[in-house]
Amino acid sequence: MNNRYILPVIIFIPLLLLQITVIPLFAFYNATPDLILILLVYYSINYGQTYGTVLGFVFGFLFDLITGSLLGSAMLSKTIAGFIAGYFSNENKRDIYAASYVFSFIVLLCAVVDSIVYSFFSATELQRNFLLLFFEQGFLPGLYTAIVSIMVVVFIPGRRLY
Amino acid sequence: MFRFFSKIWNEFKEYIILVLLLILSLVTLSLNEKPGIKKVHSLAFGAFASVTSVISNVINTAKVESENERLRRVNAELMLQVNKLREYAVVNQQLKKLLEIKDSLSYPLIPAKVVSKSLTKSQSTITINIGSKNGVKPGMPVINDLGLVGIINSTSDDYSIARTLKNIDLKITVKDERSRVDGIMKWNGEDLVIINVPKTYDIEPGDRIISSELSSIVPVPIQVGVVLGLTKVGEGIFNEVKIKSYVDFVSVENIFVIGIVESKEKKNLELNFYKREEK
Repeated sequence: MNNRYILPVIIFIPLLLLQITVIPLFAFYNATPDLILILLVYYSINYGQTYGTVLGFVFGFLFDLITGSLLGSAMLSKTIAGFIAGYFSNENKRDIYAASYVFSFIVLLCAVVDSIVYSFFSATELQRNFLLLFFEQGFLPGLYTAIVSIMVVVFIPGRRLY
Repeated sequence: MFRFFSKIWNEFKEYIILVLLLILSLVTLSLNEKPGIKKVHSLAFGAFASVTSVISNVINTAKVESENERLRRVNAELMLQVNKLREYAVVNQQLKKLLEIKDSLSYPLIPAKVVSKSLTKSQSTITINIGSKNGVKPGMPVINDLGLVGIINSTSDDYSIARTLKNIDLKITVKDERSRVDGIMKWNGEDLVIINVPKTYDIEPGDRIISSELSSIVPVPIQVGVVLGLTKVGEGIFNEVKIKSYVDFVSVENIFVIGIVESKEKKNLELNFYKREEK
């Protein structure tokens, strides 16, 4: 029972290490996949909306604290992402969502929202083309994250991370 | 009454929690500049940076071979330049003696390695493996062999966080090396730009941009980038100058911190002057 609270935080630490050391090497047009978000979506689908919202908040807080980014920006974006992912936590369809390619679509949705909210609260320049902003700061990193999330579906089919 | 609240809680639990956490996040956002929050921030990243430095070392070792190759080439090019500069230095010293100008060209360089990067679209920062124990202080410029990388933002005992040029919170006074005109350079989330440049200023694509001695943050000439072109040409009385940085922030690994900080004496003098003007 306690695994659902402790394990995500334990997995979070090595994932964050990867995120800030190795992942920047695979940047594509400044966009990098967000491994933390994939973990967040996975747990949110499995444990519900309230759990996802709180977990997103905790992940965001730790991310801001450790990476030196603006404290509160990732907290805000990850909380919203966890809330959205939790929408898909339906008792009957949970296993279908978490272990099929639908998972990647949920990740895409959450990653786009996460990236847009994060860039909105950490950037002040809003005078540029909104569509371009949406594509570069929302859709591109979101798509990259969704593609990487396919690995979760391929390598952990039908299994849970606990 | 209790039953009413209990019913509300049960029906809208998710939304109540979401709103509370969002409010908490927004409050935290507004507290970023508080000294206490900054201290906790630097302690946390300092503790984690010791772990990330181990991984960075492994990655760096794998990349050492290609880095060596590049450094050999840079070394050869520098050797050619050094010969030229030696001649200039001799002439320079003679002229300085004549003019009795203070020698301001020797600054302590503190070598460091990048242990982690947070390369977001607007708030790019790097964490380096030297801190206040090594004499690093907030405000010190960070450079590598290609030019200016950023400015130290906060330090712990053994690690420091630097804002790179691709950070919207960093603004630096720069100048065109050819025409000597000054301007404020910043990252607008998309490009490095010099803002509010009068249309009469002589800045052309291909000009080298260096830090200006007018800058209170980087008062030494360090190369920053090259002019790509002018924007907003058709509107208003100012142009915006687009710049390409010499430094590739994705691959930056070995850097130097220049051991200079903003002169408090100079700053106080200027502040007192402006206060007197206001009276």
